[in-house]
Amino acid sequence: MTAEGAPGRWRRLGHRLGVRLLTGVVMVLAVATLTFFLVHAMPGNPIQTEYQTLIARGVTPSVAAQQVAGMYGFVSNRPLLDQYGQYMWHLIQFNLGKSISASGEPVVHLVLSAAPWTVIPVLSGLVVSFLLGVSLGVVAAVRRTNRLGKVLSVSGSLFHGVPQFVWAVMLAYIFTTLLPIFPFGSPYNILDTPGLNGPFILSLVYSAVLPVLAYALSSYGGWLLTMRSSVVSVLGDDFVLAAELRGLRPLTQLRYVARNAFLPLFTILLLSVGFMFGGAIFIEEVFDYPGLGYQLVNAVNARDYPLMSGDFLFITVAVIALNILADFLYTFIDPRVRRAA
Amino acid sequence: MRTSSADLPSPSTATAPPVTVPGEAGGAEIRGLVVVFGTPDGEMAAVNGVDLDLPLGTITGLVGESGSGKSTLALAMMNAVPKPGRIAAGSIRLPSVKDMTQLRGKALRLARGSALGYVFQASQNSLNPLKRIGAQLLDLGRAHGMEDKGVLLARARELCERMGLDPVRTLSAYQHELSGGMRQRVGIVFALILNPRVLVLDEPTTALDMISQRTVLDIVRDVHRDRHLATLIITHDIAIVADLADYLAVMYGGRVVEKGPTRHVLQSAAHPYTRGLIAAIPRISGDIEKARPLVGRPPDLLSIPRQGCVFRERCPLTIGRCSLEEPALVPVVKEPGGIFGESGDGAPGGHAAACHVTAPAGGDRSRS
Amino acid sequence: MAVTVIGPGLGTEGGPRRARPAGRWQAARQALLREARRVVGAVIVVAFVVMAIVGPFLYPRHLGANANAVYAPPSLAHPLGTDFEGTDVLALLVVGARYVLVSAAVAGAIAVGLGALIGLVAGYLAGAVDWSLSRITDFALTIPQYPLLVVLAAVARFTSPLLIGVLLGVTSWAGLARAVRSQAFSLRERPYIEASRSLGLSTSHVIVKEMLPNIAPYVAMNLLVSMIGAIYLETGLFFLGVLPTNVSNWGVMLNLAVFSAGAIGSAQAVSYLLTPLIAILLLTLGIVFVLDAVDEFFNPRLRG
Repeated sequence: MTAEGAPGRWRRLGHRLGVRLLTGVVMVLAVATLTFFLVHAMPGNPIQTEYQTLIARGVTPSVAAQQVAGMYGFVSNRPLLDQYGQYMWHLIQFNLGKSISASGEPVVHLVLSAAPWTVIPVLSGLVVSFLLGVSLGVVAAVRRTNRLGKVLSVSGSLFHGVPQFVWAVMLAYIFTTLLPIFPFGSPYNILDTPGLNGPFILSLVYSAVLPVLAYALSSYGGWLLTMRSSVVSVLGDDFVLAAELRGLRPLTQLRYVARNAFLPLFTILLLSVGFMFGGAIFIEEVFDYPGLGYQLVNAVNARDYPLMSGDFLFITVAVIALNILADFLYTFIDPRVRRAA
Repeated sequence: MRTSSADLPSPSTATAPPVTVPGEAGGAEIRGLVVVFGTPDGEMAAVNGVDLDLPLGTITGLVGESGSGKSTLALAMMNAVPKPGRIAAGSIRLPSVKDMTQLRGKALRLARGSALGYVFQASQNSLNPLKRIGAQLLDLGRAHGMEDKGVLLARARELCERMGLDPVRTLSAYQHELSGGMRQRVGIVFALILNPRVLVLDEPTTALDMISQRTVLDIVRDVHRDRHLATLIITHDIAIVADLADYLAVMYGGRVVEKGPTRHVLQSAAHPYTRGLIAAIPRISGDIEKARPLVGRPPDLLSIPRQGCVFRERCPLTIGRCSLEEPALVPVVKEPGGIFGESGDGAPGGHAAACHVTAPAGGDRSRS
Repeated sequence: MAVTVIGPGLGTEGGPRRARPAGRWQAARQALLREARRVVGAVIVVAFVVMAIVGPFLYPRHLGANANAVYAPPSLAHPLGTDFEGTDVLALLVVGARYVLVSAAVAGAIAVGLGALIGLVAGYLAGAVDWSLSRITDFALTIPQYPLLVVLAAVARFTSPLLIGVLLGVTSWAGLARAVRSQAFSLRERPYIEASRSLGLSTSHVIVKEMLPNIAPYVAMNLLVSMIGAIYLETGLFFLGVLPTNVSNWGVMLNLAVFSAGAIGSAQAVSYLLTPLIAILLLTLGIVFVLDAVDEFFNPRLRG
């Protein structure tokens, strides 16, 4: 019932989105800058080392410089500011350089091929833990004074307190070594031909059980506790008592509470989707999933700095992008933000 | 327990006759209501032996400071005393409900809202912020078996117009899009949409500015007349109800310490607490210095005196008897030649107070 | 084992609390003894601290290997069994405790110190200072911490527990800074803070002497929470192998167990694999229980 009509509202939304996008771009540039200088600060100056190696192999200085430039996106014997400009210029064209360890493969390709191995198991784990944690969180809040509610809360705290790598190692050890029920060491049975065929997909799903479970168990507690405290706080709101005293149906009352309590979790959910790109390092490491975190750690250990900075940049940009998306979508689910004057 | 309304006045000082005549016009009838709260020191009474009649066509003002038990009384009328509290004794009869205190489960849910309309103290925030007003009205109707959307919406539109609200815009609005005064009026729409005969307003104007207060109170008076309701307005500010209420009841420490027709109570308040409340009203035309705030603080659950008069610690007139014996609510006797004459017979609209000094029970009783 | 502190711990009273030291000690003791699990928690924490102080002196600088006792089961000589090269697991655990605790303490202190300082300054000064500090805080909160730490670890290749603590501390302050900022915002409206300001007292005086005492309980609780976080982060980093593994701590134990020594595929290595995991969980549990007592000590209203 604001004075202005729909066009004004859309203009305001557009403005809001514009500001957020601009902030996002500034953040991405800042992260890129950070990454650039981090690579420069690497011990033993990797760029110089690479250059010297090439020279030692008998490559002419100009060709060597060209090759190094191809890998890192900048030439190391130019002034720092020049190198920075060149790096950023390549970045804008989605050129992240070439990998050292994967013999000159463009970093962008490697990163994009690793992303699904992160997204699929983590997203499944996220969905499972979210649904379970949120619905049990409602129960824990509504029944918070009796035994069931207390047991649920304690379970939430316990699960939330155990770090992800402990879950991963425990599950791997129990279900692949002590009780060898699940396969270990590869995201699918290497005897199957990758592709859209039954056995391959089946082995894919079979191998994903433990990683998904590890992720779900490690994040279930957080969802439960967050939803519980959100529901408890909404239960204290005046409109909930009012709904009860007006004689609304219990189911309607629950719907009122749940929807209001869910609002803050929506943002956290989208942020978790963003953080999931970098949040599954341990699970990928333990279960040998060639995802982004796995790639990042391997790049670090192999001193493949172009790949390392590419992975880091990609993970961070994903978080920033989901951040903006969360903020934007929130305006659609909360009328107070949507129509605020 | 207090005696029922049909009993004759008893000479005992522990009980007192209710002042209004039973059965008149069939509004709401509260009898011997006791609400207790569990505390570490045992159960404490927040409402203690209250009798109150809300006849149809009458506005009753229930006045008291915070902690006097007035809001607990209102919640008890909905049988919604929050834990660790409970209704320990008494009955609440509504026009369509024999005894609200006996209802449980679905019967209680259906009675809430349809037998008694309630306008909340925090009516500013009494609506789901994520749902449009109209949709919430439909939820309310459906919860009470009114499946016909058209009838419900027509009624909602009519009520909105009655409240001076634009029906189309109001029903399609979210709570946060309305001003405080508008929300309060929407609160009244919610309270009346199911056509209850009894309307309870808990601090209906507390959070509003002066002009909105006036508007809301005018609207309350109008719908009250139109619909011939039994209306109870709960407030800490006696000035609000002074020109609106037909009857006044003053609560202190969980007891009704004085009640009667508004004019009588205001002109010749018998209880020292009521006198204090009246003296504390600042008058626009008068000297601000003349408005004297009450000294001291109202008791809370744990500090209510268990013996004697609940008000004695703040009372300027206290005598020895006050700390020993709780005064009963007895008819206030006018000096001969007074305009009201004796009202010891429990006549309609009788003015009664509970004070050993200004309304001594024993002495007057012997004369009647 | 909740690792979150819910709700700000602002007192309702007008000014900072001052109590006599004797009364404080007694209140602390009472808070600790009120529940059995708090005592258990304190015992666990003290045991680990003693282990950290004394442990490295009990064993030789280089723990011996014994090729004849690889993955030996628990016995009198090796209460927790041996690892892949026959080294006593208990010795590894005890010697590693100092590293873990020192870096967690340093990380917690830095994270909490930075967080409280930035939050207080932003909240108290408001305006442009607040705007810039808040943008920096947002930025720090946006960058995913583990990937950042992996990259930073690769750059730094620190081995000293102090430096690891610094690394973890400077990447963990932002959450607290944001929470403290909003508390500082409400504090600066309090009459006695406004009075100090109008008296012309210096900013540093108001922040340190007037505002800090008010958020001290919250900060103290977060010190413990940050330490738990730091324990997870550092053992996680060593576990991933992105930090040099030539030091003794629980994360290195795990790394070697899982990735190098194949303990994860060997049913005999139960005690070797589980020891660091259980040590991490026990220490966390102990801190969480102590946190409970600290919470009550600072917010006595929760009693009952």
